[in-house]
Amino acid sequence: DKNGVEVKKFKRFESYKRDNQFPPKVRDMGIVIDQKNATIVLPVMGRPVPFHINTIKNASKSDEGDWSFLRINFLSPGQGVGRKDEQPFEDASAHFVRSLTFRSMDGDRYADIANQISNLKREAVKKEQEKKDMED
Amino acid sequence: MAAIESFDNIYLDLSREHGKCRFAENGLGWKPAGGGDTFTLDASNIGGAQWSRAAKGYEVKILQRNTGVIQLDGFQQEDYERLSKIFKNWYSANLENKEHSLRGWNWGKAEFGKAELTFNVQNRPAFEIPYSEISNTNLAGRNEIAVEFSVADGGKPNGQNGATPGKGRKAAAGRDQLTEMRFYIPGTTTRKEAEGGEA
Repeated sequence: DKNGVEVKKFKRFESYKRDNQFPPKVRDMGIVIDQKNATIVLPVMGRPVPFHINTIKNASKSDEGDWSFLRINFLSPGQGVGRKDEQPFEDASAHFVRSLTFRSMDGDRYADIANQISNLKREAVKKEQEKKDMED
Repeated sequence: MAAIESFDNIYLDLSREHGKCRFAENGLGWKPAGGGDTFTLDASNIGGAQWSRAAKGYEVKILQRNTGVIQLDGFQQEDYERLSKIFKNWYSANLENKEHSLRGWNWGKAEFGKAELTFNVQNRPAFEIPYSEISNTNLAGRNEIAVEFSVADGGKPNGQNGATPGKGRKAAAGRDQLTEMRFYIPGTTTRKEAEGGEA
């Protein structure tokens, strides 16, 4: 717009409506990728916690001795990347989960999860872009 | 009500092994199915209870009067009425139904309770972190707080003896061990309301 400041409408998205929509695998208290609902379910103190792909910035795997680490970064203010209007913020005074780091002895699994998250993110961005192109 | 109410396939504090959970007027007990020490909690130490969906099934979370929380996972949805009566009649406590947020958002409000930090999304808890599980916190950057969790060394995940994992071991109970969580907490300076956009 004229001021160069565009206040985009926050687009609501939702992982699940009811708790019976969780993939059955959440029982194992591990990380679960739910492609169908574009959601990553992360175990936090025994509770499966969904994070929609739209909240995720990226995921990376690293190794330290016998352990592999998977760090999942979420979109949040003040990261100096991305345009403001791409961030799904509804409330400027909100607190954000900025990252979660897990560790496991199974490095291959973390490489695979990081890969799946990247793919899911790429698809989501592509879909969003296609929608924008349609609107233009 | 019988003098003892019993439930099978219950997991105590994210234990690897399930066990039998028994409630009586004077308190509750949990015994691992494969044998081992029985965990007991005296009725006088039950300060409150919550019911919500967890990993194995439904969870009863007991807020202890002295300190900390006890998590019992693996109940069936239809157990609610029975458990609700147990808590009301024997422990004079309301089994509060806590529906968690399933929206998948990473923003909300971190609130500090007596025994745990709750991250609320639209006034519903998304997850809770018992203070007992936190090993360290630090200011990792401007407006950024890093919370580290206790995960015991030695290579093997904890809780495999079936007994309660105890302090600082819930993070390490699963196949994926949570080691760190970072929060962004905005400054207290006022911002234009328009900045965040409207729904």
